[in-house]
Amino acid sequence: MERGSNYPNGGDASAAAVPVKTTLSIVQERFKADETVHLIFEAYQIKGQEHIEGLLALVSSASGGTYAIISFSLLRNPLTASNDLKINKVFPINASFKLTTDSKAPKTEQFDLCTDDDRPTKYYYYSMRTDPAAVDFNEFCAKVNSCKKTMWDAELPSEAALNFRWLDDYREIGEVKHELKKRESEYIIYKDIIVYCATWNVNNKPCWDNKNTLRPWLASGKKAPDIYAIGLQELENTARAMLNGNQMQMFATQWVRKMLENLHDDMEYEELQSVRLSGIMLTIFVRKNLRQHIVRCRVNSVARGVFNTLGNKGGVAVSFQLNEASICFVNSHLAAHMGNVAERNDDYKAIDDYMRFEENGLQVRTINDHDHIFWLGDLNYRIQEPNGQQRPGPMSDAQTFELMLQYDQLRTEMSYERCFKGYTEGEIKFAPTYKYDVGTDTYDTGEKQRAPAYCDRVLWKGKLIEQLEYNGVMEIRESDHKPVYAIFRVKIKTRDDDKYRKVLAEVLKAVDKRENDSQPQITTDRLNIEFGVVRFNEPAIRDFNVSNDCPQNVDFEFKVKDSHNDICEKWLHVDPRGDSLMIDSARSIRVRALVDANSVTGLLKMICTAVDKCVLDILILHVRSGRDIFITVTGEYQPSCFGLSMETLCRTERPIGEYTLDEVKQLMLDVTPGYRVPMPREYFLLIDYLHNQRGQLFQSYDRRQPLSSQFNAVRDWLDSWSNDPFPGTPQTAAEALLLLLDLPEQALLEPFVDDLLASRSKVDAERYIDLLSDPKRNVFKHLCLFLCDGVERGDYDANNVATIFGRILLRSSKCNVTIDYHSRCNEFMQRFIRIESPDTLSGGNGHGGASLQT
Amino acid sequence: MARHFDHMFKLLIIGDSGVGKSSLLIRFSDDTFSGSYITTIGVDFKIRTVEINGLRVKLQIWDTAGQERFRTITSTYYRGTHGVIIVYDVTNGDSFANVRRWLEEIQNNCDVVNKVLVGNKNDDPDRKVVITEDAQRFARQMDIELFETSAKDNLNVEDMFLSITRQVLDHKLRTASDEQQKDRIIIKQNKNKGKSNKCCS
Repeated sequence: MERGSNYPNGGDASAAAVPVKTTLSIVQERFKADETVHLIFEAYQIKGQEHIEGLLALVSSASGGTYAIISFSLLRNPLTASNDLKINKVFPINASFKLTTDSKAPKTEQFDLCTDDDRPTKYYYYSMRTDPAAVDFNEFCAKVNSCKKTMWDAELPSEAALNFRWLDDYREIGEVKHELKKRESEYIIYKDIIVYCATWNVNNKPCWDNKNTLRPWLASGKKAPDIYAIGLQELENTARAMLNGNQMQMFATQWVRKMLENLHDDMEYEELQSVRLSGIMLTIFVRKNLRQHIVRCRVNSVARGVFNTLGNKGGVAVSFQLNEASICFVNSHLAAHMGNVAERNDDYKAIDDYMRFEENGLQVRTINDHDHIFWLGDLNYRIQEPNGQQRPGPMSDAQTFELMLQYDQLRTEMSYERCFKGYTEGEIKFAPTYKYDVGTDTYDTGEKQRAPAYCDRVLWKGKLIEQLEYNGVMEIRESDHKPVYAIFRVKIKTRDDDKYRKVLAEVLKAVDKRENDSQPQITTDRLNIEFGVVRFNEPAIRDFNVSNDCPQNVDFEFKVKDSHNDICEKWLHVDPRGDSLMIDSARSIRVRALVDANSVTGLLKMICTAVDKCVLDILILHVRSGRDIFITVTGEYQPSCFGLSMETLCRTERPIGEYTLDEVKQLMLDVTPGYRVPMPREYFLLIDYLHNQRGQLFQSYDRRQPLSSQFNAVRDWLDSWSNDPFPGTPQTAAEALLLLLDLPEQALLEPFVDDLLASRSKVDAERYIDLLSDPKRNVFKHLCLFLCDGVERGDYDANNVATIFGRILLRSSKCNVTIDYHSRCNEFMQRFIRIESPDTLSGGNGHGGASLQT
Repeated sequence: MARHFDHMFKLLIIGDSGVGKSSLLIRFSDDTFSGSYITTIGVDFKIRTVEINGLRVKLQIWDTAGQERFRTITSTYYRGTHGVIIVYDVTNGDSFANVRRWLEEIQNNCDVVNKVLVGNKNDDPDRKVVITEDAQRFARQMDIELFETSAKDNLNVEDMFLSITRQVLDHKLRTASDEQQKDRIIIKQNKNKGKSNKCCS
């Protein structure tokens, strides 16, 4: 068998010998049973320099009746399981949805998807498909645009109002919700409750106070109901009452009280909610201890009738949630008269369409959004017998009713789906409820002789509803209608809290685990970059690799450290500072170490304070949305005279090159005045050599410039106190002298730089010079003699050397120097290097004067 | 629309190298334990969402390198932390002695007060050197709650993390209501000011 050893998961779609899932079927696994993936299209996105492989899937939902495009990024390519798909965006194909291509550049193979107020998202595609299950761009556009035109699929059953709520499960926010929903069976139980629906057109009769009972209507059935939904129509709606709201309300209140008194005896009830539109009223009573389980109770009404506003016709409704089930009750009074079937259908449709219950600021629920719906009322549909009117006697048998019901307009209209689509009605085994002579069981004997009809009905819609009884009540005779009631057993979705908590904990853990596992990861082949011995002015390079071995693209960067506002210390250079790594890719990072004129002071300072002298730096390699990796850069700095202070150099008893770093650290930290020599030997060696050289040696100085090629030989010559001839040109010696003076952390004339700059005369300045440490003072005086000599000889230009040395010796540590700082430096130096009368020179004589001759 | 979580907190795990910081985190986030020791060279984090009193709390838990040389760098991760878990190893007296230093680190680098002291590797009585009474006395003195855990045997780990989370949550709810109180007082003062100004004019 060719069961590819390279593809343990059978991931190679082209390996035909192995039965593999198609990409389409893998994508389909991400969706629920009533959601269909119609097509997939290969598209990628570009973020920064990153290239994100993706798939777009056109999906429809039967429950929502709508289409959407789900955008996936691929965690692995080719796909092996639905877990390799990560949803990154959801585009409902609604009125605001747009798929646009750049009409000016149609060949660029890119397009935008956009919905709602969101900014468009750009996608790119290849001219060639790589997956045989995917469609090409033309087909993709054609299908998407046709969906957009219809907005929904006429073939999909649209019993629910069209909606995009199913997409919530695929938006990131819905992940936990989605998982919980999937495992619903583990914590959902169903509890039986009894729902008692009742309806009566009271024919404008006032609520009478006498002891006439409503019990045959409201207290039938053996078991006490949990919920009552009682609808009344034609509550006292004379013009007089209708103009007087208070009076109307009084009637309503009387009715509610009367009904409450006549409910089932075995249980205590309370009024949950009443809603009234003119003469149409719906009252919900619930068992007292059920009340606490009811939330989100809302009411609303839709007025019909005269001008569709008067409300003598229309509907009222109450919506609430009991445990996990949503329940809706509607009481409606539809258009009257035999011939008005279409008007009744219209009334139904208007109530169904316009009844809305506010959910929160943004959402509403419609009648059809409920799990269990009960619709009752005087629907006013008549018996339309083809041949004249038949009048059954009040005590007629079931057969007669069945005969009449063949011509029932409601049943006919329902069978043509012209109204009450999806509703069910139980078997009618009672006499027509209309129209009776008031106070009797006799059908209308009045002038109009209206035909008997089943005007008053109870219908239901939704799952898990079982009708127990459905009846008219003959013995209540106050109205020209007979009251009707229906009793139901409803299985209410209820959450078992203990089980739910357990499932929730597991779901949260699983979702968290997914998030943890999908954290971008990179690995480095080194956590320690070892440079070995690092010498002044000698660059060294080390490379290491970072690789991406997680199933997604990863961005990384070196983190800027607060302490020095950069990703690394000055003596290091890292390239690149960050990058993107595609899946299975790696790249090399170069670290360059160079201790030079710009960084040596900082390094020496760090060595003095560091615990571990070998750690040159710690780099923070940061993975975007992931962990940080610390990369330690080590190396042992080989001390050199450059950067060390004159005081430190005066403490050495052997060449600096023979000291270990620890010993140099001790020398640097030493603050006692015990100097071994008056001036550093390294300084003296340079001056001694330069003194014998002719010509302009000090022309310019910039410590940022690269050093001359012979510099390192000079460095070694100095660091070993060599007896060999000077190994470089006079220019190199001049360069070395300037660096030796310039690199120490403190300028040579510190801590009196400010005082010296402010001084007016040489004598004035000398008071401070005398206060300098011995090494500094000696070097300064000796240097002045040396320069003075050069100027005198005509080798050096006084102004030029005053400028160069002035800036070095009086280097200001302040960030903002005064405007005349440079001219003052020059002025100060000129005082010390100008040829003066011999007695002035001898006045400032010290060791230095004599040394020049040696 | 249901939210993913009601609160999000950042927790930080600190303590000497090798005391089991990463093991505690992995036990809590993945419910696994690996006997092999891989020292953390950097800063790692995991998330876990828990329910406390009906509130969904998402925790982002940062696990830091304990090695001395990284101390300066790890201290920068204290910023924005809501709660700190200080871990020592009950079989290693030095790691317990160093707790004081870690407490100082907290004091110097963040202003949160929510912390918990954890003596990990509490699964072998023969090797235990930091006795519970001493640790408890110290914890009380420092006003920190002490937990003795074992990431290996999964002892007390969940309780410990839930305890610090509860502490952070209580702290947040308390300060939130304090803020509200303060706002109310300020409004009141402003009102009074407005009135007095009117009187003066």
